[in-house]
Amino acid sequence: MPHIEINDKPVEVPGNINLIKAAEFAGVSIPHFCGHPALSVAGSCRMCQVEVEQRGRKSLVIGCSTTVADGMKIFTDTEPVKKQRRLVLELLLQNHPLDCPICDDAGECSLQNYYMDYGLHDSRMELEDKHHKHKNIDLGPTIVHDAERCVLCSRCVRFLREITGTGELGIFGQGMTSELSGLPGKPLDNPYAGCVVDLCPVGALTDKDFRFKRRVWYLKKVPSICQECSRGCNIEIHYEMQRDYKAPGKRIQRLKPRYHEKVNEWWMCDRGRYSYHNVDAPNRLVVAQLRKSNGHGPPDIKLVIQEVAQAIKKTKEKHGTKSIAVLGNARSSNEDMYLLQRLFSKHLGVHNLDVTLKSEPTSEEDDILRKADATPNRRGAFEIGVQSSKGRLSGDEIVRHALSGDIRVLIVVRHDLSRALSEEQLRKLGSLDYLFYLGEHVGTMTDISHGAIPMAMWAEREGTYTNFQGRVQRTTPAFPPLGQALPEWEIWKMLAGEMGLTIKAKMPKDVFTDLTRNVAAFKELTWEDLVPSGKMLAWVPEPPHRKVQTSTPLE
Amino acid sequence: MERYLSKHFATPDMRRLSVASKHGAYEMLERALKMEPGEVVELVKASGLRGHGGAGFSAGLKWSFVPKDTFPRYVTVNADESEPGTFKDRLILERDPHLLLEGALICAWAVQAETIYIYIRGEYFYPTKVMDAAIEEARQKGYIGERILGSDFSCQVYTHPGAGMYICGEETGLIESLEGKKGQPRFKPPYYPAAIGLWQAPTIVNNVETLAAVPWVMRLGPEKFASLGTPKSGGTCLASLSGSVKNPGVYEIPMGFPLDELIYELGGGPPNGGKVKAVIPGGSSSPILTAEEAKGIKLDFESVADAGSMLGSAAIIVVDESVSIPQMLYWVLRFYAHESCGQCTQCREGTGWMLRLCKRLLDGKGKMRDIDDLDEIADAPDGTTICAFGPAVSWPTKSYLKKFRHEFEALVKE
Repeated sequence: MPHIEINDKPVEVPGNINLIKAAEFAGVSIPHFCGHPALSVAGSCRMCQVEVEQRGRKSLVIGCSTTVADGMKIFTDTEPVKKQRRLVLELLLQNHPLDCPICDDAGECSLQNYYMDYGLHDSRMELEDKHHKHKNIDLGPTIVHDAERCVLCSRCVRFLREITGTGELGIFGQGMTSELSGLPGKPLDNPYAGCVVDLCPVGALTDKDFRFKRRVWYLKKVPSICQECSRGCNIEIHYEMQRDYKAPGKRIQRLKPRYHEKVNEWWMCDRGRYSYHNVDAPNRLVVAQLRKSNGHGPPDIKLVIQEVAQAIKKTKEKHGTKSIAVLGNARSSNEDMYLLQRLFSKHLGVHNLDVTLKSEPTSEEDDILRKADATPNRRGAFEIGVQSSKGRLSGDEIVRHALSGDIRVLIVVRHDLSRALSEEQLRKLGSLDYLFYLGEHVGTMTDISHGAIPMAMWAEREGTYTNFQGRVQRTTPAFPPLGQALPEWEIWKMLAGEMGLTIKAKMPKDVFTDLTRNVAAFKELTWEDLVPSGKMLAWVPEPPHRKVQTSTPLE
Repeated sequence: MERYLSKHFATPDMRRLSVASKHGAYEMLERALKMEPGEVVELVKASGLRGHGGAGFSAGLKWSFVPKDTFPRYVTVNADESEPGTFKDRLILERDPHLLLEGALICAWAVQAETIYIYIRGEYFYPTKVMDAAIEEARQKGYIGERILGSDFSCQVYTHPGAGMYICGEETGLIESLEGKKGQPRFKPPYYPAAIGLWQAPTIVNNVETLAAVPWVMRLGPEKFASLGTPKSGGTCLASLSGSVKNPGVYEIPMGFPLDELIYELGGGPPNGGKVKAVIPGGSSSPILTAEEAKGIKLDFESVADAGSMLGSAAIIVVDESVSIPQMLYWVLRFYAHESCGQCTQCREGTGWMLRLCKRLLDGKGKMRDIDDLDEIADAPDGTTICAFGPAVSWPTKSYLKKFRHEFEALVKE
C-alpha cells in the first residue's frame, strides 16, 4: 500500500490506482472529462493535470494515466495546476454555445460545474469568431447529439467500441472541426445505447426520453432495483411531482444506473431504462373491481378480499384444497412470496402454487448485463418455496386444470393469461367458480375476473428481490401507490386475517425479519444490511469480480 | 564536398536495379547478412547516425530497444515527409530507391523483422510508383522475399500510401494510420514503438534519410562515417534550403556545416540584393532565429539548440526583409490549425484560436491585447498534450512574437 501525500496531507492508498482515484481517498476531487474507470485511457481532455513531486522535482502530469507510487507528492491546487485548468476550460468553452438555460444537462454538467469551481473567466472570444458545428443530430431512436456542446472526450466512442463492441460512433474531421458523429446507415440502437448519455459529461448527448422534461435540480432521487430481468441492476429513480402540469400524471422522469461492482457496474440496458413508463401508465388499475358489485362506484378492497376468503372457505369445504390454486409471480418481492407461502401452503394446505408460466415474456440474454429471465425474483421464489416442485402442479398445469374444471378457485397475480389462451379458453376461465386477479394494469384479466385488487408497483413500495446470483437487494419507495393500490404483502396479510391467521407484521421489514428466521437461505440477513449493495443468500458465495467488458475492442 | 546519400541523384536511371547494381547497390546488404544482427546494431550505434526525421534520436540506440524474444517485428519507413520546408526524402524515393531499400533491409536484418512497410505521403504519387517498381525489381533479383541471397533471412516489403495528414508523420500516428485507423498519435506510455508498435508488436520507425544512410555506414565503416560529422552527430545530412535564396534545393552537407556558408555560398544569398531578416533552421515547427542569432551557427543538433532553435529535419527556410512575419505566422498557424488531429483540448482548440487572433490582427481589427492573448494561448499546447505537435506550434509562434513583436504591434491601428 503506497503512502502518498496529497496537498501535503499524508494518506495511504491501494496500489495500482490512478491519481484521480487516489485523490478521492484524501477527499480531494480532480476534475476530468475523458477519464472513466470502465474505459481505456484516452488522456486527451487534459483537465486532470496535477503537479507531482518526485525526487524533488515538480512536474505536470495527467492524473488519469499516472499510477500512484510510494512517496509520491501530489499537488492539486498550485498555481500551474490552476492555470492549466483555467486554460483548458477557456479553450473548451470558446466555441461552446453557452446555452445552459435550454440545455438538459445544466445542473449535472461537468463543464458547467468545473467552470464555477475553476474557471470564472470572461470570454475572450468574439462572437462572430465562434466556430459552429452541427446541432440536433439524430443518432438513433433514443439519442440526440449537439456537436457544439461536445467536448470530444470520446467516452461514448470508447464505450461503444470496448463495452458493447458495436462501434456506432466516431470522431471525424481534424483539429477544430473535429466532430462526434454516427456512421451513415448505422444508427445508434444497441440495447445499451442509453448509457452514452450517462457517460457524456456535458449536454452533447441527450436522451429523447428525457429531453426538455424537467430541470435536473428539481428531480428527487431514490435508490432502487431494476425489475426487468433477473440481474437486478442497481438503479436510481428520478421523480418529480410538483410540476405536474408539464406531463400530467407522470411522476417518474427517468431511471439512471447506480454503480454496483458485481451486478451492473456503471450500466443498465435500455429495456430497463425505459421500463418506468408503465408505472404512470393511463391504464393503471387503481380501484378494486367486483363483478357482482351493485354498480354504485368501486367496491372497497376489503369487500373483495372478503369475497376471496368466502370463495376459498366454501370451495375448500365442498371440494378440498386441491380445487384451489394460486398463480404467483416472480416479479413479487421476497416478502410477498413469503406471506403467500405461509398463508396458502402452511396455513390452508393449498399446494397448487407456482410463479412460472411458459408464456411469460422473456428478455434477450447477452454477456454484458441482460438475462433471459425477465423477472427480478425467480431465485427468491425458489428459495421460499412458492415455485412448483416435483409432484405438484406447475403453472401451466394449474391453468389446464382450471380449464377442465378441476380447479374451481384461481387467484392470479400479475400474469396476463391472454398471452397463452385463446378467446374461447379465456371465456371458459371467466366462467370458473371464482377467478380473482391481483394486478397493476387494466386489461383482459380485469375484464374476465370475478374480482380484481389493485396492487402497488415496484417504485411505490419497499421490498427485497433475489437476483440470479443469489444477491438479496432492497428497493425504496419513491412515492405512495396510486388510488387504492396496496403492496402485495398487505393484500395477503388482509386475506390471512379473514382466514383466521393473524400476521403481526406492520412493515415489509417485519415480514423480512420473520422470513430470515424461517427460510434457511435467508438466515442471518438483516433488513439494514441490504442497502446500499445487497447481501448474498446464506451459503451462496460472492461471485468473483468479472469485468463487464467482454467484447474485444475494434481493431 | 564529398557526396554520399545524394551521390547518385544525378545518375541517369539510378532507379533501375541494373544501373544501381553497377554502383554497388545491395553489396552492403550482402555484407550485413554475413554479420550477426547484434553486430550490425553495434556498428550503427558506433557510427553516431542520428534520426533525420526531426528528433535526432540515435538510430542504433533505437534499434537496440527491441525486446528480446518478441516476434513478429516490423520495420516501418517513415516517408510521410510533411513538415513544411522539408523535401529531401522525396529525392531519395525518386532517384535512389534501392539505397533506401538496402538500408531498410539491413535494418530489418539487424532487428530480425520479416516485414517492412514504407509509409509514403499520400500526395507522393510518383515516388510511390518508383518505389513499387524498385521493390518489384529487387524481389525478382532475390534481394526481397524468401531466403534473401541464400541466407536464412526472409523479408517482405510493402508501400502504403499515407492518408494525407501531417500528424501521420508522428511515429505513433503513422502506426495507427498503417493499421487502418484514424491517424492520431497514440497515448503514451508505452513510449517506444520499438517495444510496442504496429499491431502491438515491436516496430522500428525510421525516416527515409536515416535508413538510406545505413548502407553508407557499412561502406565507410563507423569511424569514417562518424568523422564526417561532429562528435555527437555522425555523417552527413540532406538540407532542404528554401525561401529567399537564389539557389534553393537539397544540399548534402556534413553535420556541423556552417549555416552562413549554406545560405550565401551554396544558396547564393537572397535574390535581388535582399537582406536576410531571419532563418528558420528546422522546418516550420522550429523557432525562428533572427539574422543576428543565426550568424555563425553550425548545422548540428547541439549548435542549433544552443542558438535557441532546433535542427529538426534540416529544412532551412531563409526569410528576407521583404517578408511580413505576421503574415508568415498566419500561414504557419493555418497549417497547424488544419493539421491538429483534434484529440487534446489545448491543441485542437488552441491552434484554431491562435489562427483567429492572428487573422484579426492581419485584418486590421486587432487590439494590443490580442498580441498578449496570442502569446498566452501559444503556451497552452506546449508539453501538455499527447504528442509533440503541441510544442511544434507553440515554439514557433512564441518565437515570432518575441523576436518580431514590433511587426505585430504595427498592425494594431488604435
